[in-house]
Amino acid sequence: MGKIIVMTSGKGGVGKTTSSAAFATGLALRGFKTVVIDFDVGLRNLDLVMGCERRVVFDFINVINGEAKLNQALIKDKRIDNLYILPTSQTRDKDALTKEGVEKVLNELSKEFDYILCDSPAGIERGALMSLYFADHAIIVTNPEVSSVRDSDRILGVLNSKSRRAERGEEPVTQQLLLTRYDPERVERGEMLKVDDVLEILAIPLLGVIPESQAVLRASNVGMPVILDEHSNAGQAYIDAVGRFLGEDLEHRFVSVPKKGLFSRLLRRTA
Amino acid sequence: MSIFSFFRSAPRPSAVQAKERLQIVMAHERAGRTGPDYLPMLQQELLAVIAKYIDIDQNKVEVKLDRGGDCSTLELNIELPAREAAKALKEAAKAAVGKANGAAAHDDEVSDSVKMAAGGGALTNGGVKKRR
Repeated sequence: MGKIIVMTSGKGGVGKTTSSAAFATGLALRGFKTVVIDFDVGLRNLDLVMGCERRVVFDFINVINGEAKLNQALIKDKRIDNLYILPTSQTRDKDALTKEGVEKVLNELSKEFDYILCDSPAGIERGALMSLYFADHAIIVTNPEVSSVRDSDRILGVLNSKSRRAERGEEPVTQQLLLTRYDPERVERGEMLKVDDVLEILAIPLLGVIPESQAVLRASNVGMPVILDEHSNAGQAYIDAVGRFLGEDLEHRFVSVPKKGLFSRLLRRTA
Repeated sequence: MSIFSFFRSAPRPSAVQAKERLQIVMAHERAGRTGPDYLPMLQQELLAVIAKYIDIDQNKVEVKLDRGGDCSTLELNIELPAREAAKALKEAAKAAVGKANGAAAHDDEVSDSVKMAAGGGALTNGGVKKRR
């Protein structure tokens, strides 16, 4: 039975799709058969970030409505074995996501895959609710910024009350924080919430801190998950986060400003 | 760094303010999540009780809520109308003046006299404060 992970945040634009693409790719790189599903009906973007936008024929909604077979809608990644993408519809609306339909597709996928990663849309409406309803694990994507932290807290409340596990009184959905767009220099200047501040407020375990990085835009420009840019800080931070998700104990990197070397300190003094 | 800046207290970093604001607003939101949002109901019921005794104008009700760290204030300001008796008197006076002058151009004088007749305080403000 595959595990269902939801990548969610409440707020939009914090990096859910970027993180979904990176995380799914990271899990597949570790040898797990992984599928990443776009739940943002009408605003499809995972296909672009994954670089498979020109290969979409059938989608998630077609499968739910019985208009296509699951295998026809799944797109196999060209770079990595074990990685599949299930794009969503660009034309239908969120009402196309029925609980029964989503459950049927997830059940079918969980027979074949180790991990099913659901990329949630922003908000707490139908699309977001459907993406988290069946989840075993939730990764909460948050920016160190007031509105994002507040919305994350709200979505944690939704997970604790409206997920299937909550409704059935089963063991709760595990929740982990992925703090994205973190800028240690601004934190040092007192302009940005610290990792510890966000952890204190949200009170969930930390999965990873992804530093603000130009590599993220460069990667999405070319349709490549940023985790494949192994030289970038963001890519390495995602690799670490995947490791932690799989139970490895890894130190958090990129959370503080690197100490300046003797040479640059001398330069600064004379400047 | 100038020698004077040593004595000046450093301005509070904005990140510290962000954290404090979040902690306050989220403490309230978490508390409210478990129970129903009772404020609108409380307001309605309070107004119903007052309306039972006094004919109040629903548009002249002001509800303010100020959520603080350790103390929240609910302020209810209701503008009470002139008393029924005063109203009747006002109408009677209006009619009388209207008859006498053949015009209703003396409204100001009329209301003045009514206010006096009603004991100089036809309009009163009611305030309810609640601390929790």
